[in-house]
Amino acid sequence: MSLAAEAFVSQMAAAEPWPESATLYQPLKEDQILLSDCASSLAVQAYLRMCGLPVQVVCKSNAEYMSPSGKIPFIHVGNQVVSELGPIVQFTKAKGNSLSDGLDDVQRAEMKAYMELVNNMLLTAELYIQWCDDATAAEISRPRYSSPYSWPLSNILAYQKQWEVRRKMNAIGWGGKTLEQVYEDVTQCCQALSQRLGTQPFFFNKQPTELDALVFGHLFTILTTRLTSTELAERIKSYSNLLSFCRRIEQTYFEDKSS
Amino acid sequence: MAAPDELFCWEGAWGLPSVSSDCLTVLAYAQFAGAPLKLRKISNPWRSPSGSLPALRTNQNETLSRPSDIIIHLRKQKFNADFDLSAKEGADSLAFISLLEERLRPALIYNSWVDSKNYVEVTRRWYAEHLPFPLNFLLPGRMQRQQLETLRLLRGDPHLEGGEELEKELYREAAECMDLLSQRLGAHKFFFGDSPSSLDAYVFAYLAPVLKAKLPNGKLQQHLKSLDNLSSFCSNILLLYFPQDTRESGGQKSSSPPQPEGGDFDHVPNKRRKQLMSALVALGAMLSYALLTGILSIQQLQQEALEAPPDLQTLGSRDEDEEGDG
Repeated sequence: MSLAAEAFVSQMAAAEPWPESATLYQPLKEDQILLSDCASSLAVQAYLRMCGLPVQVVCKSNAEYMSPSGKIPFIHVGNQVVSELGPIVQFTKAKGNSLSDGLDDVQRAEMKAYMELVNNMLLTAELYIQWCDDATAAEISRPRYSSPYSWPLSNILAYQKQWEVRRKMNAIGWGGKTLEQVYEDVTQCCQALSQRLGTQPFFFNKQPTELDALVFGHLFTILTTRLTSTELAERIKSYSNLLSFCRRIEQTYFEDKSS
Repeated sequence: MAAPDELFCWEGAWGLPSVSSDCLTVLAYAQFAGAPLKLRKISNPWRSPSGSLPALRTNQNETLSRPSDIIIHLRKQKFNADFDLSAKEGADSLAFISLLEERLRPALIYNSWVDSKNYVEVTRRWYAEHLPFPLNFLLPGRMQRQQLETLRLLRGDPHLEGGEELEKELYREAAECMDLLSQRLGAHKFFFGDSPSSLDAYVFAYLAPVLKAKLPNGKLQQHLKSLDNLSSFCSNILLLYFPQDTRESGGQKSSSPPQPEGGDFDHVPNKRRKQLMSALVALGAMLSYALLTGILSIQQLQQEALEAPPDLQTLGSRDEDEEGDG
């Protein structure tokens, strides 16, 4: 009896209303944040806006070290801290906000699969270009990543990060890829997303899901971020339905609030 | 066409054509597409042209080792198992393959390399028995370190250690992934239409070892067995496309219960060789020790010779213990 009561209380706590003071933390927007982190952060913001949950974005230079998993972004809601899109989706679900309840089993399976496709190919490609392409790493990634720190530390941290990403690329078999092959993978991924989207307004029927938020976060960030070469954005621009998809989400969820 | 391409793969076990998921992917795809490959099943990665398995040596003497590269190469040779797929189905394949790589692969690495019981009793044992002599002491440990390192990098946590919490998390993700696949497969025989495609090859390659390997910690296997359509999907592919391997294991299975003595007889030559080797190593160590110190001063040689026998005994007994394990 008491156990059941306890479970009930914790459920009630999970179902507590979303507080007004919820905050999302990310690195400094102007000088520090990198393409991949910016994309993940935008995906979470888009997801929360789709759910209609207000969140205040706070930029901190040490956001990476504040996050419980070391990954960006993370949200601070009430007395809980949750990082990354997957866990945040779970968390809002426990609070009674879910975008994917209307899907059947097969659709949910496909949605999860496409989300992993974005993580597996787009996110990895962003990391590759940021840290494994020497020109981008030297001109953009290392200076930006280390901008809040002073001289000896800045170099140490930037090279440490680069070393870590490169080892990860080797572990997943991307180490031997050339830049051209990575662009080819991005094209393949966009082709798949474009096929799946077709002429629908969102990936699954008329309602947005977390997949829409994730795809928007990555594509919009790639389209609006300046890198050493515009090749990455060019690859996406050849898919007109993806472009109008980004524009539609931007107009629906991001422009209404500001105007 | 010139000579067929040569494919180097790990040997099979437990009724599977190969023990490694990456090799299974390539083998299954080649079977589905009907690609004529000259198959070389080996148990020594150093004899593969790329130093790792699988590896494909094309007739232009190129070497490919990533399964996806090999599949692309086969596709270019007009051996395409995905020919009938619509563009949307092709997109779905890509998505589900990503799902497998992101969700299932970490759990599989944990299952066979990090879980200490599974590693010691099955994985290390299999590799130690199948690798040739000097490598069997060296490679299993090295492979385990590499796999753990891969898992750490995949999870983005440099201090990750095997433990209950990690196991729970990885297995939960893997179980969810299997549920999703099972829902997607439904009552169909293959994922798309009546013939298998590259997605079927990947799913089979990741799940068949889970289904067939006899691991002491079988939580993943239990979950897979509870999903009837997925487990019969794997056994169907084994029956249809690898009848020879399935039959071999059937033969082994039927003869294995009354086999204990036979098994011992099989092991005798190996044991003899090991005994001989350990005796030689002990002798060599003793001699070099005696020689090294003996060269420095000849008078001490006699003392050394007196001290040496205990060394011999400890070395000998340690080797015997190892044999008991292996």
